[in-house]
Amino acid sequence: MDFHFSEEQQQFRMELRAWLKENLERPWIEELRDPKNDEKKLFDIRRNWQAKLNESGYLGIHWPKEWGGRGLTVVENAIFAAEAIHAPPIASRVGINLLGPALIHHATEEQRRRFIPKMLSGEEVWCQGFSEPDAGSDLAALRTRAELDGEDFRLEGQKVWTTFAPWSDWIFVLARTDPDDRYGGITFFLVSLHQEGIDVRPIRQITGESEFGEVFFSGALAKREHIVGAIGEGWKIAMTVLAYERGSMSLAHLARFDHYLKDLVDGVRENGSLQRADVREKIARLMVEKEVLRANGYRTLATLASGQAPGPEASLEKIFWSEYSRRLADGALDLLGLQAHLLVRSPHARPHMDWAQEALYSRAVTIYAGSSEIQRNIISKRILKLPSS
Amino acid sequence: MQFELNENHALLKTSIREFLEKESPLAKSRPMMEETQEGFSKELYAELGDLGYLGLTLSESEGGGAAGVIGLAVVLEEMGRVAFPGPFLDLVLAEETLCRVKDQQASQFLQETVSGRKKVLLARSEALDDLERSSLQTRCDQDTIRGTKLPVSYGASADVLLVTTAEGLALVPRPEEGWKATSLPALDHAQRFVEISLDSPGRLLTDKQRADTILQEVDQLGALGASALMLGLMEGSLELTLDYLKERKAFGRTIGSFQVLQHRAADMWIRVESSRSAVYRAAWALENKLEEASLLVASAKAYSGDSARFVCGETIQLFGGVGYTWEYDPHIYYKRVKTLEQLYGSTRNQLEAALQSQGI
Repeated sequence: MDFHFSEEQQQFRMELRAWLKENLERPWIEELRDPKNDEKKLFDIRRNWQAKLNESGYLGIHWPKEWGGRGLTVVENAIFAAEAIHAPPIASRVGINLLGPALIHHATEEQRRRFIPKMLSGEEVWCQGFSEPDAGSDLAALRTRAELDGEDFRLEGQKVWTTFAPWSDWIFVLARTDPDDRYGGITFFLVSLHQEGIDVRPIRQITGESEFGEVFFSGALAKREHIVGAIGEGWKIAMTVLAYERGSMSLAHLARFDHYLKDLVDGVRENGSLQRADVREKIARLMVEKEVLRANGYRTLATLASGQAPGPEASLEKIFWSEYSRRLADGALDLLGLQAHLLVRSPHARPHMDWAQEALYSRAVTIYAGSSEIQRNIISKRILKLPSS
Repeated sequence: MQFELNENHALLKTSIREFLEKESPLAKSRPMMEETQEGFSKELYAELGDLGYLGLTLSESEGGGAAGVIGLAVVLEEMGRVAFPGPFLDLVLAEETLCRVKDQQASQFLQETVSGRKKVLLARSEALDDLERSSLQTRCDQDTIRGTKLPVSYGASADVLLVTTAEGLALVPRPEEGWKATSLPALDHAQRFVEISLDSPGRLLTDKQRADTILQEVDQLGALGASALMLGLMEGSLELTLDYLKERKAFGRTIGSFQVLQHRAADMWIRVESSRSAVYRAAWALENKLEEASLLVASAKAYSGDSARFVCGETIQLFGGVGYTWEYDPHIYYKRVKTLEQLYGSTRNQLEAALQSQGI
């Protein structure tokens, strides 16, 4: 039992802090507030920031050095996430956080050499092609087909909820190579979006933004050399991706939640309600749950740092942080009233925190990366061993 | 960063688990809770003394096991798992108080408590609610202690009481004719509360200021210990539930195959495991005397209290009608939890303590 950060890890944190002070020109929230920045411009800022991080060795922190990483552990990666909360999110978040580990674990050396450096530099931005209109929670029901065409394959079908699709260059796709084998008939392809037979359409979200979109395939080329793993191994690889998507991220979220709760406390102090018993109880519970979240996060981190892959326990973390983020945002809207409804560009909005965006976004987090219901299925089947019906 | 128990603590866990599963399964402990006056097996407590569990947290020079706060959490978690009855945590807290007092007689009582020959217990509360009061009514006047303490957990079994008074902390050996103790039967039939009226010879061990400092430290350990007990209680309760879900049949199938019940079991597991993270992180912080220990201990107690209430309540519900019978065990877990939610710093007081630890 030890939750200490080591001397070296503390040192890493200090250097990073100094680097951020030197290199981060403007907090992300100010970029968001700037009327000159449209969605395209904001995405460019993210791409440039990513390039800067990459040059300074702050991307792929826990990846092996030979694949462009820094060769440190998930602990340093978590420290980075915690320290960089006021920085722009990187452009290729999906690629680096999700596809990266899958490539390191399952790709050939040639594929890694071809894709990882450009993923890190931001030259190639990735999106994820998993969900379909009729395959959401039931992902294995996916119907996008990959049909043999000479050596290679042609894709037919549709993906949806594809985050960053409108800004991406490449997509990693789960497609069916055998219609009769539910799990074993799925293959993991890396596919260029810049080709004939691909149509990307943005979807407008409840926040008004179009961070994600739909991708339509009609005969798009999927090269054999760009299959990750063997034909029919797609499901297994997808599970690696999803485990990384679910687990190990609480600490990054925690750094945000620390910042948010502080803003909420400042807010109730300013509106004069901090001494009200109902307010105190609500804030205390949010604070206590945040510490529990941190304890869960450290626990996962310790497990990952000892070299184990994220297991079904990742579902616990996913449920906890995502449902907490809803309670936190709802709590702020309750206690700060309409001030927390004001959009970031509105007069009187809170200067350091975009509660309206957070409250709406918190309705997405319990759906993506496996809904809360799917996580509960995983826990009851794989951990509690409850029988199937 | 490491979450696993170290070798010593892992060994401690195995030993205490084996001991409790053999000596104190509910089939054996329930008659103690239900049919004896003291509410626990005196023989088992003597054995816990012989095996060294009663001096668990004390240093080796005090005759203890030097297992630290994490070791204490390990043992209490296992005790919770089988709803082990009796004043184990109360004895540990009295020992922790005694060892902080520089006094020859206190040291002697400490040794006798560690070996299991005597029971020293704290008598602090003067009211049944959890509201803070500015002053104590019990007084120490020229080596006589006068006042009423309630509730005193397992007070009737005490050989010596450590009594808080307006003047400071006093040592009160049991009078020859015994305590003037009135039993206060409560919701949790495994618990023993008494009201004790004192007009007895005793003497001051420390003044008020020093006593407050000592008891503040002891309270942190009490809150952490109660959290670990509740962690064990909800674990035991979840185990009962899972066994039942896997064996009970209705509508022609095992009820554990119904998704609505699976998701409820998943929520119980989430509460158990999150409490485990919180309790051991707090134990680690307290053991290492870190600044954030007060926040983490308060968080662990408040969270495991809410969680244990939820988990043990769900067990009754998922058992259905038999869950409401005296014969089945779910109520034992549920009742223990209700007691622990209130004692050792109630949930609402821990929530307030969490805020204050952060200057809010």
